[in-house]
Amino acid sequence: MPRYLFNRLLQAAFTIFGVMTIVFFVMRLSGDPVLLLVPEGATREHIEALRRELGFDQPIWRQYMTFLTGLLNFELGVSVVQRVPAWDILASRIPYTLALAGAALTVAIGLGVPAGIIMAVWRGRWFERPIAALVVIGQSMPTFLTGILMIMLFAVTLRWLPSSGVDGPTSVIMPAIALGMLSMSTFARMARIAVVDELGKDYVRAALARGLPLGKVVTRHVLRNAAIPVVTIAALEVGNLLAGAIIVETVFAWPGIGQLAIQGIQSRDFLVVQAIVLFVSLVYVVINLAADLLYASIDPRIRLGGS
Amino acid sequence: MINGMRGWKQLVLVFLALFAAPAVITNAMAQASRDMITVDLPNDAATLDPHLQWDTDSYTVYRNIFDNLVTRDPSGRIVPQVAESWKQVDDTTITFKIRGGVKFHDGTPLTAEDVVFSIRRITDPVLRSPQLSQFDQIASAEATDPTTVTLKTKAPYPALMAQLVKLSIVPKAVLERVGAQAFNLQPVGSGPYKLRSWQRGISVTLDAVPDYWRGKPPFDAATFRVVPDVATRIADLQTGKADIVRQLGPDEAVRIKSDTKLQVLSAPTERIGYMFINALNGPTQDIRVRRAIAHAIDRKTLIEALLQGYGKEVDVVLTPANFGYIEGIGGNAYDPAKAKALLKEANAVNAPLSFLTSPAYDRRLVEALQQMLQEVGFKVDIQTMDQPTFLRRRQGRPEEAGSISLGRWSCACQDADGVIFPLFRSGSIWAKYANAEFDKEVDAARSTLDEAKRLVHYRRSFEILRDEVPGLGLYQDYVIYGARREIRWQPTANEAFFLFDMKWQP
Repeated sequence: MPRYLFNRLLQAAFTIFGVMTIVFFVMRLSGDPVLLLVPEGATREHIEALRRELGFDQPIWRQYMTFLTGLLNFELGVSVVQRVPAWDILASRIPYTLALAGAALTVAIGLGVPAGIIMAVWRGRWFERPIAALVVIGQSMPTFLTGILMIMLFAVTLRWLPSSGVDGPTSVIMPAIALGMLSMSTFARMARIAVVDELGKDYVRAALARGLPLGKVVTRHVLRNAAIPVVTIAALEVGNLLAGAIIVETVFAWPGIGQLAIQGIQSRDFLVVQAIVLFVSLVYVVINLAADLLYASIDPRIRLGGS
Repeated sequence: MINGMRGWKQLVLVFLALFAAPAVITNAMAQASRDMITVDLPNDAATLDPHLQWDTDSYTVYRNIFDNLVTRDPSGRIVPQVAESWKQVDDTTITFKIRGGVKFHDGTPLTAEDVVFSIRRITDPVLRSPQLSQFDQIASAEATDPTTVTLKTKAPYPALMAQLVKLSIVPKAVLERVGAQAFNLQPVGSGPYKLRSWQRGISVTLDAVPDYWRGKPPFDAATFRVVPDVATRIADLQTGKADIVRQLGPDEAVRIKSDTKLQVLSAPTERIGYMFINALNGPTQDIRVRRAIAHAIDRKTLIEALLQGYGKEVDVVLTPANFGYIEGIGGNAYDPAKAKALLKEANAVNAPLSFLTSPAYDRRLVEALQQMLQEVGFKVDIQTMDQPTFLRRRQGRPEEAGSISLGRWSCACQDADGVIFPLFRSGSIWAKYANAEFDKEVDAARSTLDEAKRLVHYRRSFEILRDEVPGLGLYQDYVIYGARREIRWQPTANEAFFLFDMKWQP
């Protein structure tokens, strides 16, 4: 187990290092922020001077070394656009994305898993169809469209919910639904497949034959066994939620890291983008590790790292 | 199927029940207070220190916190603000009399020392101000007595006053005490509003300064919210969450117009929509090819169909809001037959044109221009790239800059010198054109303070540009805001956003 953990963490460190390196070079190859910072009509001399002052005139490998040295010292640098430490900018946005992703995951699991179970246990009954329809809608509607449509309906026409921003708990409802829709459908489908799969197994038939009620069989035995694939999906879905947050946060003016990423890329705010990438890759690695560890506790038959 | 229908209805009911509860609360919040104004911006202010950034979202906020040395009245005339009056001593020296009774938000009076400090600060390369290029003609600034500032320029510099419109005055004592980083987060100015709170990425809230020297500000408080998506900004207007929103396109303006509770506030600006034509590389090196491009473009259709009328035809690369604009230079009117003939004469039928563009430019406009050019016999290849790459290529060597591209240029100085000099003077990064006579004219126009003489030089400059077409004026750009009907405000040509000039309809 400790050996397994060590290997995984080493792997994770390499992954993050690789991602950071790719982002570092791709961002810099497509131009620096100096041209976006200067007003129209700035002369070549001014542009060059500003570039020198900001250190973008250095050879790219030297910039890369500076970046690596900073990283080793847990220094993310100061944003050249906002002139504030990149970490401070990122840190102020993280709670919003966590809140949104958490709410979206609640929507996704809270609606998706029960929907999947219902569709599996009572498959073929009339109410499977509308639920299935909802699942398909959730899966096929692009997020920005759901977002705008919800704003038109619930904010502009019905005036029930605020159209944008963060003013209290009601603000998170629409973004959470818009963001959670796709994941909700995935959870519903996976839960349905897993439960259907389990229901066909011998132990279920045996339990039913012994006279146990279906409800008890499902809650006591089937769900526990069906949980493994759902946990895997949950880990993957956190990644999807972070990606989806870029669009949802922009549409709903939700001040999380997704919106920050877009602004950072548009203004070539390298250090902010690097900080975001570092944070997001850390989240990915931690979540996937957590999912693996969770398997073992759900199903004692699973041994991490072999015998 | 019938069962299925009932299932739908049940679901809808559950959905409605879930959402009904918060409705009451938000409706109560939507009642806008008349003492407040809420503004939706597409982006957060990058900095609130007025010397560190010069982008529209930043200065839309911070110019309400600070006063400028001089400003423009609604007609565009340069008028006193912190400077009460000024006198041109000789060609390179000007003295400003600093107004008494102007106070910073911390209660200390604004003095000549603060003005001098502001000028020296923004022109200090160590500050890395992107605005340095706007003030680099200033050689020195001295406080010759407690209320007088003497400014010297490196050479006679006619655009000086126009540049000083953008000089925010910062308090020397505060900056020296707290340093630049803290000042950016807690700026202290002398303007009509002071900072209450800045939640990065969310909003900036300002409070009125009741004893502001120009009078009591119109709103007790103002909030600038960050709302990147234009559809959401409009929804905010419709729901009363915002009172005025920035950066709408012509199509959105049409939508706003159809809502009786809202209004469009717009004005022609000093921003020129133009087409760059590379005179130093590719098929457009031939003057006949450049003229053919000019005659192929139907500005009227572009403005009516794509800009929905939010643009005004111009035939030079300058707007009437700029000094140096000459009425009736003429030439290069829409004439597809002539364009075809010119192409044939130049032996350039089916000449390939690479049209560089980025998401910063309206795709439909780009495609409409492509079609107009193809109709007279060009082969137009649109190359889309991101904005930094676009700028790098456009400013790079002539071989990299493509044949044509769009631009929306404003020098924020309302002077021809800030437009045609950087765009076409040889040696400038934007110029893909070299003409000694043109260079001589624009050089002469920027080194005399005599306005009549300057106009003569600009007339000649624009005649050369008309004949040689290294660029083509298309339209004068309009700034478009959406607002609640009860707001009274007239936007200006320099795209300034001063809360002090707005009010709720009584």
